[in-house]
Amino acid sequence: MNQQEKQTYFTKFNNQLHILGRITLGVGVILMLAAPFVIGILLDAAPSLNGFLKGIARVAVIYVPVGIVEFLVYAPMLGAGGSYLSFITGNVTNLKIPCAMNARDIAKTEVGTPENEIISTLSVATSSLVTMLVLFIGVLLLVPLRPILENPVLTPAFDTVVPALFGALGLKYFTKAPKIAIVPLAVMTLLCILVPAAISQTSLLLIPAGGLALGIGYLLYKKGRL
Amino acid sequence: MDFLSQANSLPVYLICGGVLLFIVIMCVIFLVKSYRAGLKIGMDPKVLKRAITSSATFTLLPSVSILLGVIALGGTLGVPVSWLRLSVIGALQYELNVAEIAATSMGLSGLRLSEMNVSVFTTIMLVMTVGILSGVFCTLFGLKKYLGKMAAKSKTETKPTEKSRPGFGAYATIAMFVGLCSAYIGSYIGTFTSSGDYLPLTVALISAAAMGVFQYFTVKKKQAWLENFDIATSMFVGMAAAVLINLAV
Repeated sequence: MNQQEKQTYFTKFNNQLHILGRITLGVGVILMLAAPFVIGILLDAAPSLNGFLKGIARVAVIYVPVGIVEFLVYAPMLGAGGSYLSFITGNVTNLKIPCAMNARDIAKTEVGTPENEIISTLSVATSSLVTMLVLFIGVLLLVPLRPILENPVLTPAFDTVVPALFGALGLKYFTKAPKIAIVPLAVMTLLCILVPAAISQTSLLLIPAGGLALGIGYLLYKKGRL
Repeated sequence: MDFLSQANSLPVYLICGGVLLFIVIMCVIFLVKSYRAGLKIGMDPKVLKRAITSSATFTLLPSVSILLGVIALGGTLGVPVSWLRLSVIGALQYELNVAEIAATSMGLSGLRLSEMNVSVFTTIMLVMTVGILSGVFCTLFGLKKYLGKMAAKSKTETKPTEKSRPGFGAYATIAMFVGLCSAYIGSYIGTFTSSGDYLPLTVALISAAAMGVFQYFTVKKKQAWLENFDIATSMFVGMAAAVLINLAV
């Protein structure tokens, strides 16, 4: 197959991949959206519309921009097949991108070539399947451990899962960008000490805290101090 | 039947497993089609197989870490939903943060097993699913056009000769996480000063200390592979401390 034939074949293949990707991604989204409702019917407790609207309004402010930026930055790195799979299987930044980069390095393919796209898709598909297999085996092994996990002695552990996450993440990100961290951390701490009523609204505080950190980060970046 | 028994019941496993089975089929189709296309354009089968095996081995350790996330999240949302959520769009940080936001939006004091019920549970699940869909919708409706534009742009652009400074995008995610962590840590300090409840702050500090140990080994001792486990293990150290503190007092 000469270069011209290769390009023509690959363009046709890529077009098919887009059609397949759109169909499967669309069906996948419908299934994921249906799951809470089906579970709700089975357990006789449908999702609350009021709770959903309140929750999604707070979540969307933070995560809609994050999702769009991830798409704009990572889609060109992953190519068509890699993108359709990565954006439905998740763990894009921490797993799929480094995994695809590693596979490309090993295969020694060049950016923008059909070979590069094929390797990315193979890499992301394999990575997703391995993760799902490991989780499946893990979940099977967890079934007999259920009585232990449901033991009331462990309740404090699961009730503090969020503080445990943000303690660990806090250290990781504060040490990565201490200049950005000082002001938001001081402001949020003072606010919660002086206005204790704000503590129950932490999910709302995330928005100004994120905005403040982004603003400070941008100023420092513009001044070349990051 | 208590909440956790309902969340861990067989029908919930079957529903979550069914959704995941579809995604497995999707991955297999993409894998097979791409492998065949690679052979068709003359790629060496050895290179294709090496890409597959290297990706599989590369993924093993991070997957174990994701499994630890299933256990951490499974204590409040049940194993099957945690299994589903951590196998599809998102990551542990997203899922926990959104579950906490959704729980407080429903009037709970936080993501606490003692306050959970099935209605809150299905609402949290729906918020978790919808909240992360923006990237998926961009892919669904804009990927073909966007990649076409990027390909055309890269053909007309000349390569830069000197290394340029990374854009603000590289720092934006870090800044966003700094903001999120500041709000949570501030609230734990405020909880302690206003009500004397020291548990959230203590757990956060112990997790941070465990993360400090990981940072020492990954940064100073160059043991980069440990980074796969830093968040999940640090969380478990903090959560274990919560159990011990509760037993001690």
